[in-house]
Amino acid sequence: MPRRNVLVLITIIIIFVLAALVVFPVNQGVLGKKGVRLGLDLVGGIHLVYQVQFPAGVGELDKNKDMDRAIATIQSRIDKYGVVEPVIQKQGSDRILIQLPGFTDLEEAKKLAEQTGFLEFREVELDKDGKPVYLRDYLNSDKPDFFNKKEAGSREFVNGETGNPIVFLNKDKDGVLKYVDEGGKPVDVDKLRQGSTNLPSWISGRGDDGIQLTGSFLTKAEANVNTSAKGAEASIGIEWNAQGATIFDQIARRLYNAGPYGTVQRALGIFLDNRMISSPQILEQSYGGKGSITGNFTLDEAEKLANLLQSGALPVALQKPPLYQGKVTPTLGADFIDRSVKAGLIGLLIIMLFMIVYYRLPGVLASLALIFYAVIILALFKLWPGGGVTLTLAGLGGFILSLGMAVDANVLIFERMKEELWTGRTLGAAIDAGFDRAWSAIRDSNLTTFIACGILYWLGKNVVASGPVMGFALTLFIGVAVSMFTAITVTRTFLHLFVGTNLAQKTSLFSAFKR
Amino acid sequence: MIDIVSKRFWLLSLSGVVLVICIVAAVVLGLKPAVEFKSGSMMTVSFAQPVEQAQLKQELANLGHANALVQRTEGGSFLIRVRELSGDEKVQLEKDLADKFGQITENQFFSVSPLIATETVQNAGIAVAASLVGMLLYIAWAFRRISKPFRYGICAIIALLHDVVIIVGVFAILGTILGWEIDLLFVTGVLAIVGYAINNAIVVFDRIRENARRGISSDFSVVVNSSMVQTLTRSLNTSITTIFAVLALMLFVGSSLQNLTMVLLVGIVAGTFSSVFVAPLLLVVWEGAGWGWKR
Repeated sequence: MPRRNVLVLITIIIIFVLAALVVFPVNQGVLGKKGVRLGLDLVGGIHLVYQVQFPAGVGELDKNKDMDRAIATIQSRIDKYGVVEPVIQKQGSDRILIQLPGFTDLEEAKKLAEQTGFLEFREVELDKDGKPVYLRDYLNSDKPDFFNKKEAGSREFVNGETGNPIVFLNKDKDGVLKYVDEGGKPVDVDKLRQGSTNLPSWISGRGDDGIQLTGSFLTKAEANVNTSAKGAEASIGIEWNAQGATIFDQIARRLYNAGPYGTVQRALGIFLDNRMISSPQILEQSYGGKGSITGNFTLDEAEKLANLLQSGALPVALQKPPLYQGKVTPTLGADFIDRSVKAGLIGLLIIMLFMIVYYRLPGVLASLALIFYAVIILALFKLWPGGGVTLTLAGLGGFILSLGMAVDANVLIFERMKEELWTGRTLGAAIDAGFDRAWSAIRDSNLTTFIACGILYWLGKNVVASGPVMGFALTLFIGVAVSMFTAITVTRTFLHLFVGTNLAQKTSLFSAFKR
Repeated sequence: MIDIVSKRFWLLSLSGVVLVICIVAAVVLGLKPAVEFKSGSMMTVSFAQPVEQAQLKQELANLGHANALVQRTEGGSFLIRVRELSGDEKVQLEKDLADKFGQITENQFFSVSPLIATETVQNAGIAVAASLVGMLLYIAWAFRRISKPFRYGICAIIALLHDVVIIVGVFAILGTILGWEIDLLFVTGVLAIVGYAINNAIVVFDRIRENARRGISSDFSVVVNSSMVQTLTRSLNTSITTIFAVLALMLFVGSSLQNLTMVLLVGIVAGTFSSVFVAPLLLVVWEGAGWGWKR
């Protein structure tokens, strides 16, 4: 046996042992790497893609900043939910991709992402005599202007029970008052008259210098439980930064002096995404930068709300419904894994059986090379740059398919070898001639699969529902590339072990069928 | 040695008949696009009590989804495809189904907007076009050394189109009978087949090239025949091992990958036939041996 062959054999065995150490156990980290990473379709979870809507007139640079902030905001909201390895990424310049492994409540996930989390404080509009203004006042008024001319912003009227917005009153750029809904569409005035008109007109709460008080001045928000004589009540403790504290106290002082306790002009309207979550009475003239939002909510709701306030407002709006939404339950994913493993093992066994029956001894060696191949591939899946290959169902399919294709090079070589043996060459010469002659065909034929994989990879990168395509392309590519090495180097080295031994004389071992 | 070349009329006719059937099926029946390509919502649901497919379809029609597609999958669950549902509509639909059939479990849900669907179709089209160009360039490169690269190239391309047409035809028929729709996995399968099937043609042509150089016969038909016979076992064996892998996937993984595995199965069978028989036999015809029709 030539010395070179022994060295190659030792190298192969070392690689095999190292690869096996990386692969097993399959779901644990080895060599500082985590277990095989599974795609959403196998582990279960939620996949959302949103179109981002930028406010009009935003420059490219600011768009980028807004995107980064929006992603950080969604990230911090989701972090509180204990989702393992969520993915929140920019897709293109104006899309956001959200993947939540193991999370299966689609509606909850959408709410988490879509809520802009815009917190604002409003107060009731007063006319020039200091009396509160109601919707009926506007409907009955023939004056085409706001009662409080100093405040030019929108008036909001909400359902007294749910706090949901009913109508907004805006002044357009020509100075005409318009009734619109939340989406900016005109609202029929006659319809408004039919409903309750006893709704206070909420205007933005502003500090003395005109700055509106919003959630962006918050430094802290956390859920609390207050136990009082009425029982346990959930609330949200908030803390302002210095500027917010000043503005808040200016508003508090104004409302405190606007009317006696219990009147609507003394209430502070707390609005989240245009919905009034509560309207507490102002009890003091100064709050010193701290406050508490009470409302009709459970502790769970208070915690979600605090999370939302803490993570801040989204700088952009997300278009509803999402461009793409997908959900797979973990049980279905586990079932897919089970079935793929079965398919892989059975496929592997049948292919090995076929090779052994047809090619005898070389078939046995090819089967060994195939097992070697499978272990190397699985190791590569774990070690692939970027934290391993994310295995999807289609990716597993690509791997199993590559098992069938991996023996292609062996078949080419063995067929050649048989021909060379028939012409009366010795085993060693036949092996080398077989490999040399088959090489050009092996190289050429794998090249086309590489081209196809490259195009598939591109396709996977450019379509939203990309999981299947990319996974398949990557596993097939790795599979075919490695199979060239294993089928050629490994099988050749194994075969050379028999050169010069007595077995080499028994040609029946090397081909089942004689010409 | 078996004489394959003399039977070329029948082998090519067989291929021609299958092609005609597939072209007619594709033109008349057409392909049905899945939600990825035409937008809409798709869900996999299972019920605690046994439910008939027809019952479910009827109930969906009653609920205003007359065009809903219902397909039974493994483990007694159903794949339902409807137009794009809003969040509220989806909750309502599941509630209505639960009212009618009892406890319902949603295992999978996908919803694709029209914008994404249009993009996906465009990108899939670009990918298919790019792969065809890629294969053309590859063929031009692979045959650069032989005397008539153009003829070899055209025959290989005909073999390739042959496979794609048969895949499309089979899916047009499956779409009509079983309601199968084409999606990204279908395109993935087609691209993989385009890359795979051409390999066999390359191997046969490679051998023709080698045998012609060695001058085993002055008759081109004889050169091609012995090249075909020499490479036949190899081509069949590599296809068989790959088909084993595909069948294992079909049997065990089932409907989730059905489009991919079916494309691969049909593509490998058609691709093996076209590259082992059609491409070299067309070359023989083109080199002046005629169609070989004998009474």
